[in-house]
Amino acid sequence: MSPIDPRLQEALDGERDPGELPVDLGEAYARLISAVQLLAATPAASVAVRVMAEIRQPRVQVQTAGLMRRMVRWLARPRAVTLRLRPAWTLALAVGLAAILLMPGPGHTPGAAEGVAKFVGHFPGARSVEVVGSFNDWSRGTLHLSDDDHDGVWRGGAVLPAGQHEYMFVVDGDRWVPDPLAGRYVDDGFGAGQQNSLLIVRPVAAQP
Amino acid sequence: MVNDGAPADADVVAQVLGGDGEAFGILIRRYEPGLLRFATRMLGNPDAAADAVAESLVRAYRHLAQCRDASRLRSWLYRITGNRCRSHLARRHTNDISLSDAPPLADGSDAWAVLERNEQVALVERALAALSAEKREAFVLKHVEGMSYEEMAAVTGARIPTLKMRVHRAREALLAALEEVVR
Repeated sequence: MSPIDPRLQEALDGERDPGELPVDLGEAYARLISAVQLLAATPAASVAVRVMAEIRQPRVQVQTAGLMRRMVRWLARPRAVTLRLRPAWTLALAVGLAAILLMPGPGHTPGAAEGVAKFVGHFPGARSVEVVGSFNDWSRGTLHLSDDDHDGVWRGGAVLPAGQHEYMFVVDGDRWVPDPLAGRYVDDGFGAGQQNSLLIVRPVAAQP
Repeated sequence: MVNDGAPADADVVAQVLGGDGEAFGILIRRYEPGLLRFATRMLGNPDAAADAVAESLVRAYRHLAQCRDASRLRSWLYRITGNRCRSHLARRHTNDISLSDAPPLADGSDAWAVLERNEQVALVERALAALSAEKREAFVLKHVEGMSYEEMAAVTGARIPTLKMRVHRAREALLAALEEVVR
């Protein structure tokens, strides 16, 4: 392979009129253009039906930590509390607390092929943090984290199918950031060098 | 890209993100032919190309909110598809692709035209397949997909001078292969 005349390169780049090329270069130009035309035919196949069928599939239902679970966690957190109760209220409060504490924790018990994923992120000043990933079709609105004590640490959990999941945090609704604590990352496949966090959920059945 | 009376990409993207998943079909119809052609030239196998494009479109749908500039949707889709093709080639651990689709032939007037149509197709495909994936991608984006070097840079992440060099080298290799046959 030898370098081809710069005039031919210029003509192929649209910077020179190919009609001005010498005969030999004109033939080479025509040969390359003919080759391009051969390659320019559009395949008759279509993947439209297949793609639309795929994206119509229902998403994996993410079982988020419910209000009850957050309440239990809030109640279980050590804190200084001063109560001045009348005797009648004391009994009522004790009954209420017992009812809450005896409730099963997660709203959804993991099946044999599922596991519990916990997410923690430090986003001081954030108004909202949620998790999107391969388990919820990268859709917002299904897995919100909470920062009940306003210390900037956002937490949440979900029951997910066992296996490998890619995910990212969405902060304040529009800022997508990988989980700095994920430990493992994979290229997001969009070519800009960005990475998704990687989470491996072990099945409950496999846990000791 | 906006066709006559057709909604702009940004409008369709907004529609999809607003919950109308069926509107994604508009984008598929708009870009599928070019993506399939690009993937077929990259992978040399129409079935593998269809898989790559289907996976890329599903991925694009699921990550549509990450497309920060919907007016450059075409570049974004080509970038996803290009990445998918590169992953596919990497898994095969070889650059030796087997091109098998036979597109129609343009008329020629020299010795090149003496070759039978299928022979011409096979020759060009073999020459293209012999290029490195990077040069093949640059040549196809430039000449088959008709992109500017700026758009190619957005698709590949490579710098424009690098892309120009790849295109020039690809032309030289292709021309050498074609002249070898018709000599």
